[in-house]
Amino acid sequence: MTQTTARETPAERRDVRRQALDSMRRLRRQADLRNYTLLGVLVVIWLAFQVLTDGIFLSQRNLGLLALQTTIVSLAAISAVMLIVTRNFDISVGSAVALVGVVLAVLTVRMGVSPPLAILAALLAGVAMGAWQGWWVTRLGIPSFIVTLAGMLYFRGLSLIVTDGETVAPLPGSLTRFATGYLPPFYSTSLILVLLGLYAGLQVGLARRARRLGLVERIRPVLVRAMLPVCVAAMAAFYVAALLGIPYLVLLLAAVTIAAELLMRRTRFGTQLYAIGGNPEAARLAGIKVGSVVFRDFVLAGLAYGITGIALTARVSGAVAGSAGVFLELDAIAAAIIGGTSLSGGRGRILGALLGALLMGSLNNGMSLLNVPTFYQETSRGIVLLVAVAIDQLSRRGRVDR
Amino acid sequence: MTTLVRTRGLTKRFPGVLAVDDVDLAISTGEIVALIGQNGAGKSTLIQVLAGLAAPGTYEGELTLADAPFAPGSVSEAEAAGIVVIPQEVNVVGDLTVGQNMFLGAEPTRRGLVDWAQLYARARDVLREFSIDVAPQARMGSLDLATQQLIVIARALSKQARLLILDEPTAALTENEVERLFGHLRTLRARGVACLFVSHRLAEVFTIADRIVVLRDGRIQGDHRTAETSRAEVVAQMTGEAAAAAPAGPPVAPTVGIVALETENLRVYAVDEPARQVVAGVSLSLHAGEILGLFGLLGAGCGPTALALFGAWPGQVTGRVQVSGRQVAIRDPSDAIRHGVGLVSQDRRDTLMLEHSVTDNVTLASLASLVRRGFLDLAGRELLARRYVARLDIRTPTTAAAVGTLSGGNQQKVQVARWLAAEVRVLLLIDPTRGVDVGARAEIHALLRQMAADGHAVLLVSSDAEELVAACSRVVVMRAGRIVDDQPAEGLTEGRLLHAAAGVAA
Repeated sequence: MTQTTARETPAERRDVRRQALDSMRRLRRQADLRNYTLLGVLVVIWLAFQVLTDGIFLSQRNLGLLALQTTIVSLAAISAVMLIVTRNFDISVGSAVALVGVVLAVLTVRMGVSPPLAILAALLAGVAMGAWQGWWVTRLGIPSFIVTLAGMLYFRGLSLIVTDGETVAPLPGSLTRFATGYLPPFYSTSLILVLLGLYAGLQVGLARRARRLGLVERIRPVLVRAMLPVCVAAMAAFYVAALLGIPYLVLLLAAVTIAAELLMRRTRFGTQLYAIGGNPEAARLAGIKVGSVVFRDFVLAGLAYGITGIALTARVSGAVAGSAGVFLELDAIAAAIIGGTSLSGGRGRILGALLGALLMGSLNNGMSLLNVPTFYQETSRGIVLLVAVAIDQLSRRGRVDR
Repeated sequence: MTTLVRTRGLTKRFPGVLAVDDVDLAISTGEIVALIGQNGAGKSTLIQVLAGLAAPGTYEGELTLADAPFAPGSVSEAEAAGIVVIPQEVNVVGDLTVGQNMFLGAEPTRRGLVDWAQLYARARDVLREFSIDVAPQARMGSLDLATQQLIVIARALSKQARLLILDEPTAALTENEVERLFGHLRTLRARGVACLFVSHRLAEVFTIADRIVVLRDGRIQGDHRTAETSRAEVVAQMTGEAAAAAPAGPPVAPTVGIVALETENLRVYAVDEPARQVVAGVSLSLHAGEILGLFGLLGAGCGPTALALFGAWPGQVTGRVQVSGRQVAIRDPSDAIRHGVGLVSQDRRDTLMLEHSVTDNVTLASLASLVRRGFLDLAGRELLARRYVARLDIRTPTTAAAVGTLSGGNQQKVQVARWLAAEVRVLLLIDPTRGVDVGARAEIHALLRQMAADGHAVLLVSSDAEELVAACSRVVVMRAGRIVDDQPAEGLTEGRLLHAAAGVAA
């Protein structure tokens, strides 16, 4: 055997490689496997950093910080998934977020508008930006890449014009306290338990109904599959929250995630988004008004500008028109892709994108702890993205070949 | 004349179908041979083997070119041997110039760079030779379809071909252009080039061909010198009516109900030429409980009629449409669906999300009915999908399987299931059994009969006369955008349909 291995012919090597690829593709077809692969990679990276940093990485304090650091990218990644799933791209996110921040800061700092009113105005500004770009894409048929490339330029330009390039700070204390504060540990852990209970109740209800309708024979395996990952995540969250509580921003992210996940997986609108990305012509011939659905998708992306812009601006307590959100769109798209969203549309999960954001955030955080220069950090993130897309392509090829 | 190409015992199978069955065919130099037969008769498969599109080893039998064994493994290999195919559908790059298209992938070069002067000079010469009045620098996409096709043909004819295969070359051409094309073919024949000419149009076949070969179910049914046969004889051989006097009669009991869909003076305009009418004033009544066939040759306007009724025609449409006695405006597929009209298309790539699950595809048009308290009822959705997968006997491992992994016949059943799940009352189908094997075809026909018996109104558009005679309770024939015949299925023959569609007396 050793003899033959040493001297295998190129044909044999090809054969082995093909078999390996085949089995990989077979595995990939079994549902959301790649998210589990991603989870595995994440665990490996975490353990490695844990060892390398002498136990600092997985400390409660650092994990809390990590969650906070990934919040902004995660928010943007959620909206990236919702657009990419329909074969649309938004590269204006960073600039749009900066402009929302300028609206918030100018209203509160320069004009003395009360924070609740200013937040509402900032959200509306985001929605308007999303609707504006959606109009160009769906009414005039201009590719979203172009529309948002233009947006990236003039949203940034407008931010600089309005602020004259100066930082507008500091924001009222209530806003800053929201963005940097924590829900106290007791309330945090209670909230986690309540949410877990609600989720379990919902799953039991759904599983019972599925059994009553004859879709599944036994409830337990269904419940285990639905509950296991959530329980693990809840335990991790409980561990971190028990010491410091949960940052309000992370709570905001959790709320947005739940809303987006419900929208994508459990509403007609979300199903239509996937259908449009899967095959726009088929969607049209099945009676879906593609233009109107995609327009609403862009409006939601606008809402995400608003939420992300407010969170980002409040966190640093001011609007920095020139540098706020720079490269955010690229990090968001990278997180979505790493998390399994297909660039050719029709496939992508919100939770996957959050894992993708967490993976990139972990690399940043861990390398910072190790005092790796930022140049190396950028490089490693690039390579992670490349590998993730390569996996995407391989799995895709396996499907189309047949 | 010497024999140029010969096949002996050529046989090619696809899963479930014997596409070409023991075919012995010889084509001599300087001879124009017409190959005719209905859809699915095996014409395309035969061409694929000759053109190098079927890998050697995937078929049985012997193939010789000028008495030497010949087994082309690719199109370029076949072309190098002098076999040039002009495909039915013209593939051009609209954004490139005429000259660039003509020399795509074979651009003349000078010191490694494209020699544009030579390219355009040669393009100009070819265009001039074929009297095509177009500048070689013109953008291909700015020309109409017929001119594009002529250019492709001219380019192919200018190659050093020994055997030229034309697959339905005249479908998009006007009479004058056809005449011009035939003139060139005769010139080539005089030079000793052999030509295999595939067409549905019998009149053209009898004008140009020296010999006529009839295929049915993959076998050669007749091989005649043109002067020694008649249209009646070849039609009989195409349809097999001489052999089997009457195929299994139309089993549909015409218990016809109310008018489900009615259109008056429907006019459909071409997309690229807004003045040209593809459908020129069609009036039709489709009743609940009937399967109405709509038959016509390529370009007769049957497909556009169905697309227009579904709101899916990309160009302009005028005329009145009534559904269940109410006048409706159908501008978009969503309008049609709202009024209970569904469409099954021949091209599954247009209507299915191939990478998505069976459930996703079956329930795509019924999402509105699955919303409970604002949220999609996923369990109800799964149940709906499973119900129709079972009822239509769609063969899939699970409802979670990607539709692209199913066979063609099952994919078509998924399309039908989508509309049944959406509870449409009128179903329009365009060539639903094209590329579907015989067994699945029979199943789909049975399914349509069941739907009609349940009170649905079914409009079946097909270019396959046999299918319509077998499945329909009434058949309307179209030619050049107009209705030219309307017959109950009783006593209807394929020959009669073909004659009406081709515009020749029986």
